[in-house]
Amino acid sequence: MLGKGLKRKLEQEEENDLKKMDPHQEVMPTCYWLQRQTVLTLSLLKLHSRPAHSDPGLARRVLITNTLRHIQEELRVEAVLLPQSLPNAGSPSGAVDRERPASAKSPSHTENSLTPVSLLEEDRHLFLSLQSSVAIHTAPSVSKNCPSLSNIKDSFTSALAEIEDLCPAVGITTSLTCPSLSTESDTPSSLTMNQDVPDITCYSDTTAISNKFRHTEPVHESMESNMDSALFQFTPSLLDSAQSLFNHCPSLLADFSLDDFLFTEIDNILFDNTACSSSLSASSGSSKVVSMVRDDFVKTLTSGVSQAALPSSQTFKLDLNDLDHIMEVLVGS
Amino acid sequence: VSGDGDGQSRWCLSQVKGAVDDDVAEADIISAVEFNHSGELLATGDRGGRIVIFQQEQESKNIPQCRAEYNVYSTFQSHEPEFDYLKSLEIEEKINKIRWLPQKNAAHFLLSTNDKTIKLWKISERDKRPEGYNLKEEDGRYRHPSSLTTLRVPVFQPMNLMVEASPRRVYANAHTYHINSISVNSDNETYLSADDLRINLWHLDFTDRSFNIVDIKPSNMEELTEVITASEFHPLQCNTFVYGSSKGTVRLCDMRASALCDQHSKLFEEPEDPSTRSFFSEIISSISDVKFSHSGRYMMTRDYLTLKIWDLHMESQPVETYQVHGFLRSKLCSLYENDCIFDKFECCWKGDDSEVMTGSYNNFFRMFNRDAQRDLTLEASWENCSPGYPLKTWRVCAGSRRKRNEIGVDCLDFSRKILYTSWHPQDNVVALATVNNLYIFQEKLNPEF
Repeated sequence: MLGKGLKRKLEQEEENDLKKMDPHQEVMPTCYWLQRQTVLTLSLLKLHSRPAHSDPGLARRVLITNTLRHIQEELRVEAVLLPQSLPNAGSPSGAVDRERPASAKSPSHTENSLTPVSLLEEDRHLFLSLQSSVAIHTAPSVSKNCPSLSNIKDSFTSALAEIEDLCPAVGITTSLTCPSLSTESDTPSSLTMNQDVPDITCYSDTTAISNKFRHTEPVHESMESNMDSALFQFTPSLLDSAQSLFNHCPSLLADFSLDDFLFTEIDNILFDNTACSSSLSASSGSSKVVSMVRDDFVKTLTSGVSQAALPSSQTFKLDLNDLDHIMEVLVGS
Repeated sequence: VSGDGDGQSRWCLSQVKGAVDDDVAEADIISAVEFNHSGELLATGDRGGRIVIFQQEQESKNIPQCRAEYNVYSTFQSHEPEFDYLKSLEIEEKINKIRWLPQKNAAHFLLSTNDKTIKLWKISERDKRPEGYNLKEEDGRYRHPSSLTTLRVPVFQPMNLMVEASPRRVYANAHTYHINSISVNSDNETYLSADDLRINLWHLDFTDRSFNIVDIKPSNMEELTEVITASEFHPLQCNTFVYGSSKGTVRLCDMRASALCDQHSKLFEEPEDPSTRSFFSEIISSISDVKFSHSGRYMMTRDYLTLKIWDLHMESQPVETYQVHGFLRSKLCSLYENDCIFDKFECCWKGDDSEVMTGSYNNFFRMFNRDAQRDLTLEASWENCSPGYPLKTWRVCAGSRRKRNEIGVDCLDFSRKILYTSWHPQDNVVALATVNNLYIFQEKLNPEF
């Protein structure tokens, strides 16, 4: 992270011309997206945790929210710029084998907006791929994400061992799913990944893995399920730590009551307390959507908040609509 | 470029106040530093809501070398922690700002504020007391008039100096959001207080009313993208004030134009350099402090990486820009992660406006000589400098250090930061606060070794 400032300048210019890229060129954009992912995750975490001195300053929240909005806008623009179908949407995924069949056929994902599992291998680019695929499918309501999430988990359960056999750096694979904070060995935060994972700072390592996969044709099918199982491995702990997050941020479930609305300045509630005030959308079905989003969201967050062994591997599950909903919740709609 | 060629400056450590051990209680962390208008008094506020006032050493204040000797003059509890029951929020007692009023009589007055309440304190001396009452004994017991045989006139006798601080006004309940600035007007009758979204104008005598002069709160809070971060009255024109925002703009307003100064008279904003754009561009552009020069001609703004001097007549760009710690530009993501990117550094002018100063990390502070276009990096560390001896200047280098007065960027300690600084209005004496201590430095024109 500390040495990436220079690369980032180049990346930004590259990214504007983003079309199909050869693997070599993708070193830069990868780092840019990596950092964007990091910033996104950090921002979400910051908005949901109290700073050290328990001073939830409005200025700080506004700055973090603006940073999030900026990233959201970028993602939206990119989603528009990448209108092709899934394999192409994986164009940033460079070296990964594009001949692998687009797993839109994957039964677990037919009816929903989630990215086919084949693209999920592009751990670094998961987020971007997810965005583009979501834009394509014009993702329906958020609630569909839940069943698809569980579908992913199920299919992932099947062949984790296989993936480990395939790739000695399965740690690398997992680290690729957790782009946010794991690439810095000197990151002081507790969000750093477990240190056994090889330190990936650049796309070139992904190339190595991808090459390995390319050579093992029959593995493609199991790759999907492997990824599924890899993800599923994360989810139990996530579910566990979801609870801890709720306990950790009690203001998430602030005891808002009718009295609060009657006697307090509403805008203070919206901004002075934590951003995620779910009860404010208590009316009708929207609350369901919001709470579902919040569940996913919480899992996403807990992946960062919880132990080092579980980095934010689930962040890639956020699709653009999720992000929209999250932004709405954060600013208290 | 470091100041003097030999790596030494003319600045010397004069005094260090506060505990010298590393374990500092949260309440003792200094959060405000301010010289009064004569420089005789130096006030500090801390997170525990206390104010400690230091006074220049009276006997030696005419000796040039000893003008930077300050002793404790008065200590009092300014603000207490409060609890807002409606919102279930604690109101911190931390002192955010201290501003002195110009002295009108023997007593000294200052304004101090926490997040919600401003208080006017009177600090007065008592060094005499009346003695020789007819009806009262020395120990306070009353004498019966029938026991009197003679009468005498009470006289004032000298006593040990007692410094009393009493709250004369409490200006409360005018701010929904956290107060970040207070500024006394040059008319010496009014002052402004600014929070994240509003600026209020007060008359010093009246606590039950204040006038809102700036309100940037949107009708729909979801649309909020910008907050007020700092505000100050012009030192000479009582109708003019400025406020800085989190988006890096400074607006100058004229209170003669309208009652509500939402429309600015001038907007100071430097166009962004597209080559340095990053995710953190907005955050690092946020104005953390704004200070007028003593002359009233210029204005200085501090954002995360730079100090900018603006000519009030030119809004399009600053006339001078100084890099405080530009080497941090490549580390913004880490600084975002550990929250250091939100640190609000203050800045100050020298009395003759020829130099400016601000703090940095690793207990470094930076001085910029505007005339000579030179800058210094000095360290506030009682372990590394002997009182009275010139401080060595530092350089921060990108890689590993090669010389003795160099330090690598990666070796900087971001937990040691100097946020609060104040420059003596007449002398070359500066006071600054590290997390643990208050440091007072003096520049010696003829340093003795």
